[in-house]
Amino acid sequence: MRPSARLAGLCAGLLFSHFLCAAEALPQRWVSAGGSLSEWVVRLGGQDRLVGVDTTSQHPQGLRELPSIGYQRQLSAEGILALHPDLLLGSEEMGPPPVLEQLQAAGVRIERLSARADLDALEANLLHIGEWLGDRPGAERAVADYRKALQQQADWVARARAQGESPKVLLVLGHAGSGPMAAGRDTVADWLIERAGGRNVATHTGFKALSGEALTALDPDVVIFADRSLEGDAARAALLEQNPALAATRAVHDGRLLSLDPTLLVGGLGPRLPDSLASLSAAFYPDQAPLPRPQP
Amino acid sequence: MTVVVRPRPLFVALGLLLALAIWLSLALGPVSLPLGDTVRAGLRLLGMPLSGDGLARAELILGQIRVPRTLLGLAVGGVLALSGVAMQGLFRNPLADPGLVGVSSGAALGAAFAIVGASLFGGWPAWLAPYVLSLSAFGGGLGVTWLVYRVGRRDGQTSVATMLLAGIALTALAGAAIGLFTYLADDATLRTLTFWNLGSLNGASYPRLWPLLLVTAAVAVWLPRRATALNALLLGESEARHLGFDIERIKRELVFCTALGVGAAVAAAGMIGFIGLVVPHLVRLLVGPDHRVLLPASLLAGAALLLLADLLARLLLAPAELPIGIVTALIGAPFFLFLLVRGRA
Repeated sequence: MRPSARLAGLCAGLLFSHFLCAAEALPQRWVSAGGSLSEWVVRLGGQDRLVGVDTTSQHPQGLRELPSIGYQRQLSAEGILALHPDLLLGSEEMGPPPVLEQLQAAGVRIERLSARADLDALEANLLHIGEWLGDRPGAERAVADYRKALQQQADWVARARAQGESPKVLLVLGHAGSGPMAAGRDTVADWLIERAGGRNVATHTGFKALSGEALTALDPDVVIFADRSLEGDAARAALLEQNPALAATRAVHDGRLLSLDPTLLVGGLGPRLPDSLASLSAAFYPDQAPLPRPQP
Repeated sequence: MTVVVRPRPLFVALGLLLALAIWLSLALGPVSLPLGDTVRAGLRLLGMPLSGDGLARAELILGQIRVPRTLLGLAVGGVLALSGVAMQGLFRNPLADPGLVGVSSGAALGAAFAIVGASLFGGWPAWLAPYVLSLSAFGGGLGVTWLVYRVGRRDGQTSVATMLLAGIALTALAGAAIGLFTYLADDATLRTLTFWNLGSLNGASYPRLWPLLLVTAAVAVWLPRRATALNALLLGESEARHLGFDIERIKRELVFCTALGVGAAVAAAGMIGFIGLVVPHLVRLLVGPDHRVLLPASLLAGAALLLLADLLARLLLAPAELPIGIVTALIGAPFFLFLLVRGRA
């Protein structure tokens, strides 16, 4: 009896120390350059590991209190080294390359994850982040939940589209209502509209300024506005005031002006995406019973 | 113009200022290194067999980050100030700056082409990608300056006034082309372009440094040899010709030196304003218009001021950093105003 107990103790001790070692090998101080990556790190429970973020990491609120390392394409080698990071996380956009080389030479682990709006890329990203946080199962759960939410969303949109015509949607990005830029093809905004069951009326590529007349001619059923300086009703009022031509559109006539957080439009698939899609869809198809929200 | 300082004390003062700027640039940064470590790491980099705790880290930060950055600042500041002197001498106008012959706008056009072109044409080949921005900016600067020079030339004579106007016209034209690239750019490239236009000494590395150091050395050796010709030019072109100077050749050399120097500086560090305008001005106020003193003194002062501006740029917002063009304009513009107001009183 006694030797086996000792053996068990030894095993437990070995196992424990193994865990300790594994925990020690995990990067403890993270710097994240990339809005949606930072958001995912927080969502997966890594907020206390973050010691610095870039200027695109605006969400959730707590990130804004961390030291800012500047814009993700203009990182400063010494500035980042001053934060003593173990890990620098970023997307393909992170740069400039000579700075990354200097950081690497200084022993900072640099991990580039894909910012593509693509579920498989996202899965790979989340599993990596989970591993570095030491919580791969949590990441696997998050991936499964995300896929499920998007699948439900897709099913719901397919049903809604079968029953009614999909609305013509225009998404404009503005600054206190003025200088609205319309989202065309090959933008995250276009992808959002499509996934939420709408039809993007803008056919150009990227974000382009549209004249008032062109806005009217497109005659969207729904206008989504993402304002960088105002929120909600204030942004809506500013948009209408600065762009009187909008008043002639069906969207304004029917009161279908939707507000969207502009931070959703940068940096790939973020954790808030399924919820935003669901609320957009609900507004696109007011006659349909909205998608039941998953309980958090 | 009266001479406030004699050349010798001025050179001593500028030498000390430059030494101080170099020392601060090497010793300070967002990473706080103990002074002893910095010194020992420096000695080790110079080949002394020292060892100690944290020395590897200090050596890395000093050798790979601060030394190349300091060298870059020295070269860029020096060559911009020298080019400023050359342009103010050529145009006989204290408001002249290197942008006047189109080198800045040409470089900006080249940069816009390189930055926006990457996304328009589906990227540059991998072996070229790291250098395409620098090469394109350098080529753009040289190209537009050459055009300005060609337009100013007629019947074997170069008219400085025509060159000035041609420079303004071609700058406007380049501005239109840059506007077109801006229109075509997406969000991310637009931001890169904006930051490039504000300049930065960030990410200096030896492979990018050598071409600029060579060009700066060449310009710094060449221009002071033309100091007496520049002095003669102050009297007027025909006076200088009667004094026996080959004016056409001097003009060609001044334009070429400026295009080469500013082109290389801009290619390495982006657009940095005000050094080329304010530094020669400041030095002229101190020692008078003699180019034999003005040229080397501007070289020293430009290098020192750019290093000090860079120090602010990297410390003010650490761990992020401010584009250096903001710092130079923020200090340079009010200073310039001060000089104007004081000069009138």
